[in-house]
Amino acid sequence: MAASVRMDLGDIQGDILRAYGNDYDCTTYAFMKIECPPEQARAWFTGVVDHVTTAAPWPPGEKPLTTLNVSVTARGLRALGVSEEVVGSFSREFRDGMSSRSALLGDVGPSDPKSWEPGLGSGDAHILLTINAQRTSDHERALGKMKAAMDAAGGLRIVYQADTELLPGSREHFGYADGFAQPAIEGTSDDKARGGGVPLKDGEWRALAPGEFILGYPDEDTRVDPKKRLPNAPAAPLGRSGTYMVWRKLYQDVALWRRVMRDAAKLYEGGDEHTLSAKVVGRWTNGAPLVKYPDKAPASFDPQTPGGNDFRYDKDKDGMRCPLGAHIRRSNPRDALGFEGHLSFRHRMIRRGMPYGKVLPEGVTADDGEDRGLVFVSFQASISRQFEGVQVQWLNAGNIFGLGHDKDFLLGDPHGTGKMTIPGKPPFFLSPQEVFVRTRGGEYLFVPGMTALAALADGTAG
Amino acid sequence: MRRTRSSTVASPNVSGQAYAFMAMTPVRPGEEKPLADYLRGLRDRGPSPLAKLPRTHIGRFVIVPDFHHDPTWKQRREEHLDLNYLIFTSNFDGDLDSYLDELCERLAPEAKEIWGRCVGCPESAKGAALKRYLEHNQIKTGMFFAAYGQATVGAVKSSLRQRDKLIEFAIRAQAMEPDALQKAFLSEFDAVR
Repeated sequence: MAASVRMDLGDIQGDILRAYGNDYDCTTYAFMKIECPPEQARAWFTGVVDHVTTAAPWPPGEKPLTTLNVSVTARGLRALGVSEEVVGSFSREFRDGMSSRSALLGDVGPSDPKSWEPGLGSGDAHILLTINAQRTSDHERALGKMKAAMDAAGGLRIVYQADTELLPGSREHFGYADGFAQPAIEGTSDDKARGGGVPLKDGEWRALAPGEFILGYPDEDTRVDPKKRLPNAPAAPLGRSGTYMVWRKLYQDVALWRRVMRDAAKLYEGGDEHTLSAKVVGRWTNGAPLVKYPDKAPASFDPQTPGGNDFRYDKDKDGMRCPLGAHIRRSNPRDALGFEGHLSFRHRMIRRGMPYGKVLPEGVTADDGEDRGLVFVSFQASISRQFEGVQVQWLNAGNIFGLGHDKDFLLGDPHGTGKMTIPGKPPFFLSPQEVFVRTRGGEYLFVPGMTALAALADGTAG
Repeated sequence: MRRTRSSTVASPNVSGQAYAFMAMTPVRPGEEKPLADYLRGLRDRGPSPLAKLPRTHIGRFVIVPDFHHDPTWKQRREEHLDLNYLIFTSNFDGDLDSYLDELCERLAPEAKEIWGRCVGCPESAKGAALKRYLEHNQIKTGMFFAAYGQATVGAVKSSLRQRDKLIEFAIRAQAMEPDALQKAFLSEFDAVR
């Protein structure tokens, strides 16, 4: 096995290896279109790059009030003057873009790209600026500076902007604690290996190779055989310290979710709506995993405390505690697929989602017309293997889990069996499945490393 | 496990009653892209042409442009293909002879666009001439395993319909009292008895 890898944190952009959501309450995602010649765009880009936040740790007490990060679409690379040859060295799914993969991803019906919000999935999004801020006032100041720089440069237009804000208790809109279960990465978060890494046969865990998430570093292939090539990456210097980013705006129909759970629970044992909902998710609302706490959530449970995410499914093969089709069991099956985790550990993602929109007050089951949901963000070395693998094979299909045409009850569309089986004596069939989550838009992006950003800015990226 | 010698060796192309056919044909120079475009466009032009052969479990067209060379392999020299190759595989019910008859008849319009772009394909690209061409280019299967080799396509589809019916019933019936459940089940699945 290769020795532990030292990451060049100063060359990697921030908010990838470490979640800013834990430090910053507001995040704005601004998608821009370049409508000027590449030279003019690069002059503006140079000014942006100077302010990009890296992954280098902040000295104690010097946490910036705001952070800035940059990513580009394939069209954005071209608009910055990158040659077709270099663009061609990026992965096919990135070049094709998310909207062209809609049938594969299950973005159909109300999630069809034809219904996406203007500016997303249309080819207009070239550059994404992500701005994090500790307070609203800092946030507004940073946005103002960004817009002033754009106006001064000319030839740039914001085609889509999403403003997001942490909800109380780090919950998402359906009410569940979210975002704390992340992959453990060698050399970065080895302390999170238990529950976040790869489950080993002897009961131990190990962190994942960094190349699963950051290009230019050994991945799970090269980890065991250092003679093997590093993972596929774009042509130098773009291929080092970068990562692919998936950005999706997911609308959540909270009122519909509550009504379906309320009505279905009338037939469920004890009529308990909260237990039924937890069975769909695989966790209680405070994040406590059902596989460890099948009957009741411990009131004091905090998913951030050490060991909070440390569990396996080996003692729950029939899903009596956590259903085989529960959302968290599908999206990260850990050891549930057998073969010592070999079928699952190449499909992990770093997730950096943020909720948007106002909370629907507790107990309300009528839709108030507000737009609310989650901006889903993931970082991975391969969009097709990691994000699309999970989305297509695990969430939108049931075969690998022995669940036939069942799809993820929470995120999947209802055109499979339209139900979820909750194992029990007797089992419970949760139905009807509705469209609780709709894709409102999305993009596949690339987050260059700092050296690569400088090369893009001065036109030497090839 | 102790091996026993059998006096009759089963065809390695057969598993249960299912047959695995593979033909590998070189693509004419200059026809690589038109062929790839045609095959890629099949999904946009409606149902798969293989649907015209209802005995087919799964069929696949693959174009092999060259051998992959991995510098980390202990391989003395790189090897390359002179031409692209089209691989056609199909797992189907019954015997090869009658299947190829059906294919060469029913898929004649598509065959012209597919094998018609390959080296040595007869100009008509249909009927007995196409059949001989495909037989000539058949690659014998080394080992064929069909998960349910005794089940025909018809039997598989019928089982899936039965399964869907059972799921629908189970959802509907879960609130019923035992007597009503028994009555409803017998009424719904009486033909099964």
